[in-house]
Amino acid sequence: MPKNTRLAFNHKPLIGDWLVIVASMVAVAVMFQQFWSFAPASQLKIRQGNQIIGTYDLNQARELRIKGPLGESIIVINNGQARFKQSPCPNQYCVHQGWLSHAGQVAICLPNQVSLQLMGAKSKYDSLNY
Amino acid sequence: MRLFFLFLLACLTASCNKPEPLYTTQSYVFGTLVDISIYGETDANSQDISNQIIREFQNLHNRLHAWRPSELSSINHAFARGDTPISIKPDLSAMIQDATRLSAQTNGAFNPAIGGLIEEWGFHHDEFAPKKVDENKIKSLVKANPQMSDIVLEDGKAFSKSSSVQLDLGGYAKGYALDIALKELNKVGVKNALINIGGNIIALGKHGDKPWRVGIQHPRKPSAIAALDLNSGWAIGTSGDYQRYFELAGKRYCHIIDPVTGYPVQGVQAVTVLIPPQNNTGVLSDVASKPIFIANPENRAQAAKNMHVENYLVIDSDSKISISPSMAKRIIWLDKDAEKHALSIQP
Repeated sequence: MPKNTRLAFNHKPLIGDWLVIVASMVAVAVMFQQFWSFAPASQLKIRQGNQIIGTYDLNQARELRIKGPLGESIIVINNGQARFKQSPCPNQYCVHQGWLSHAGQVAICLPNQVSLQLMGAKSKYDSLNY
Repeated sequence: MRLFFLFLLACLTASCNKPEPLYTTQSYVFGTLVDISIYGETDANSQDISNQIIREFQNLHNRLHAWRPSELSSINHAFARGDTPISIKPDLSAMIQDATRLSAQTNGAFNPAIGGLIEEWGFHHDEFAPKKVDENKIKSLVKANPQMSDIVLEDGKAFSKSSSVQLDLGGYAKGYALDIALKELNKVGVKNALINIGGNIIALGKHGDKPWRVGIQHPRKPSAIAALDLNSGWAIGTSGDYQRYFELAGKRYCHIIDPVTGYPVQGVQAVTVLIPPQNNTGVLSDVASKPIFIANPENRAQAAKNMHVENYLVIDSDSKISISPSMAKRIIWLDKDAEKHALSIQP
């Protein structure tokens, strides 16, 4: 019967140990890239005039009513995407913008001074030229 | 072995970086969105400077408003009456002189004297609606040929030789405001900032260890078509048919009016210009896209050359994309479809 029944780790790391260590580091790095840095949009920031109305989780189904100078803008959040559903503005550009789903995307209703901005862990740019 | 775990720990903590010293604020001025980003300052400091810049923008907007009572509209009333010269503040006088010079440089394609035409097209309203214009009115407004060179500036007074001159600095003021903001930031010692006025953007310094990166809006999709690095002192501006326009009987009428025909330009969705640092980088980012937008496709390269613009991008109504060789080197396409269709412009 062996003297030592405990699974002791009393030798220097062997090649297999190194392989396990390196492989797990690579796995951590890869997962970090996949699931952290390049995550799709996760939150919606809504602004009205000079104020931030709020930051909302995108992973829900919800309708929000935001009051602006012309009346109420209706914004819909639907599991990872968001859009203007209804707006009191005359030209309806904001409604025509449709669904936003990527970090950094912006929809603006200038007449009613409401803007939607999708936030993620990493946007592809700092500001948008239009 | 222990060293190894320390190394692993260091990697992880470095990745879970602290919140970066980036302050952003947004407000509504010039009838559009103003975004200010400041990097590397305390929030309190950034807030003070941003508020000061916004106040200056608001003040400028009030003074230059083209269809509400303002310094500019008083001058327009005086020009229309054609009577005695009206007194004008030195900075507004300098703006008019500068705009006159730029108008000549664009061979009149950029013409801030055509406020009458813009009014007739109904763009002098916060809430403009589709409008059937009076063709004869347009013809007579074009025939009256209002020019910036009709304006006489003397002894702190302004006078117009033509009563048809109606100033509208809508294609100038936002760029001018960018230059003012840059001066203000330099004065208070801010090293890194990005200012966006209705899509016209100027950069100062960097975003941390990387240049500021800006997205270029797709004219027909709710996403960016491309992105590029905006180095310190550079500015970017776009003239597009997708922010201010109306549709009537299936046709799109945008706010950019060709002074020669008196009609909104057709056939172009967007022109983007990238301007290197100089005295009036912001102004050029606002003005220089207009002559390219208005020019016929075969004259675009010349229109760009007249403004010393090397970096530009044109998207036509059939979604054909033309890009200058130096712009092609800087751009990072985000829309794969656009990348496939982009054609290099031969200078």
